[in-house]
Amino acid sequence: MASHSSPIIHFDHATFGFPGVIALEDISIEIQSGEFIGVIGPNGSGKTTLCRAVLGLMPPLKGHLRIFDCACDELRCHHKAMIGYLPQKGVVDRNFPVTVLETVTMGRYGALGLFKRPGRKDREIAMESLSHVGMDMHKDTALGYLSGGQQQRVFIARALAQQPQVLLLDEPTTGLDITTQHNVVELVQHLHEELGLTILLITHDINMIRSRVDRLVLLKTRLYAAGPPADVLKPDILSQVYGKDLVITDKDLVIVEDYHHHH
Amino acid sequence: MFELFAYDFMQRSLLAAALVGALCSTIGVFVVLRGLAFMGAGTAHAAFAGVALGYLMGWPPLLMALLFGLATVWVTGWVEEKGRMKLDVSIGILYTATMALAILFIGLMKTYNAEVYGYLFGNVLAVTSEELLTIAGLSIVVVGAIVLFSKELYFIAFDQEMAEASGVPARRIFFLLLTLVALTVVISLKTVGGILVFAMILIPASTAYQLTHSLSTLTWYSIVIGVFCSVGGVLISSYWDVPSGPAIVLLATLLFFVAILLSPKRQRQSLAVN
Repeated sequence: MASHSSPIIHFDHATFGFPGVIALEDISIEIQSGEFIGVIGPNGSGKTTLCRAVLGLMPPLKGHLRIFDCACDELRCHHKAMIGYLPQKGVVDRNFPVTVLETVTMGRYGALGLFKRPGRKDREIAMESLSHVGMDMHKDTALGYLSGGQQQRVFIARALAQQPQVLLLDEPTTGLDITTQHNVVELVQHLHEELGLTILLITHDINMIRSRVDRLVLLKTRLYAAGPPADVLKPDILSQVYGKDLVITDKDLVIVEDYHHHH
Repeated sequence: MFELFAYDFMQRSLLAAALVGALCSTIGVFVVLRGLAFMGAGTAHAAFAGVALGYLMGWPPLLMALLFGLATVWVTGWVEEKGRMKLDVSIGILYTATMALAILFIGLMKTYNAEVYGYLFGNVLAVTSEELLTIAGLSIVVVGAIVLFSKELYFIAFDQEMAEASGVPARRIFFLLLTLVALTVVISLKTVGGILVFAMILIPASTAYQLTHSLSTLTWYSIVIGVFCSVGGVLISSYWDVPSGPAIVLLATLLFFVAILLSPKRQRQSLAVN
């Protein structure tokens, strides 16, 4: 576990939503540098809202949110480039005319600022990011020609090109076959270990990540539990959140859920 | 055919067509990629309503066109951002409402005004030297802004939320794009007309989209296609004595269908299905 100095992400009794609709209520959690956190919860539990909050796209209605040195009580935070973000699949148009290297280089744009064009150093960072995800030989391929798993790798490389401290992944395995799902999660764990990245992985697939994360955060509008997987994945806690969708087999907890995209 | 080039009006109209073709096809890349096609069509009609009001009240028609165009893009942009209403619905309403305004303004005029209809259908062969200078000046402003902000414009076209999340001021860039669309429509109004201007924005970029997988190549293809169709259309128009607007747009449409037939994407996709 990481040292408990000052947390890099700190939710302090924070409530998020739109006027009249509460998406997340009274969330308090501290995330330390170098942690691997899995965020779980049923559909509509506020996972994506948490993600938008961490990205600085949504200030809290009540309470406080601090990310790095940035008090994110208002929009226009300056921490954004420090968080590499992998959005949910299906958000990006598969046929968008862009090559792999062009996609990854976009990760540099925020840090470059207005009016500056990506130079040799930015291309080097982009290529290095591609080699971290094992896609460097595909740099000139059209994004649309890649498989779903390869596209996820390219988008992860795009996030890495920001040279972030935190990698935030929103449902990175959705829509991939089982083998590819494992490969993507393995890649994330590898990046966590090799680059020392703090990982925030949002997923509905608890079994995929339970053995890999330091802590699980269980959401359903409120924060139900946060801690090591063994402490969170207890039948009494889970059944509060998932209700009848929870099936407990001999050794394993299985959550049966009709999973739908929620945008 | 070549003796046509000797005429002043012909040189002016070819130059105007080339400028408008280049301008429309450049901004068109971002309009197509960001999915703003219908918004642009609505803007063109709103701008025409501005022209009609200008003539009715004796105010400068192009300034009114600009005000109407900007109001339309900003309102629709704001509606899209808030997500209060589906974009096609809000544009559909503004589109028809501004058209109704245009008809109303024309109806209120005491006399028939041929100049107003000139803005509806456009006539590149009638461009004056002063208008050519205005077109050139404004084109430099729009293309300059696109060049300055090209990387941000590409990024928000690709994925605005991702752009915002990685520290690009995506919202402001989006409204800049909308403003540039309105400016482009107004600049092109006199030459290609309110009805056809949007074809000039849409078709070259969509044609280029069929032919490449790289953003930078797409932009260059689009500009080449846009200029080729504009200049080719004007030549066809004067040689066979047909209206210039339809000649340009139909030439572009023809190229579009040829591109679809030749598209490497289409062939690749039919392979990828297996």
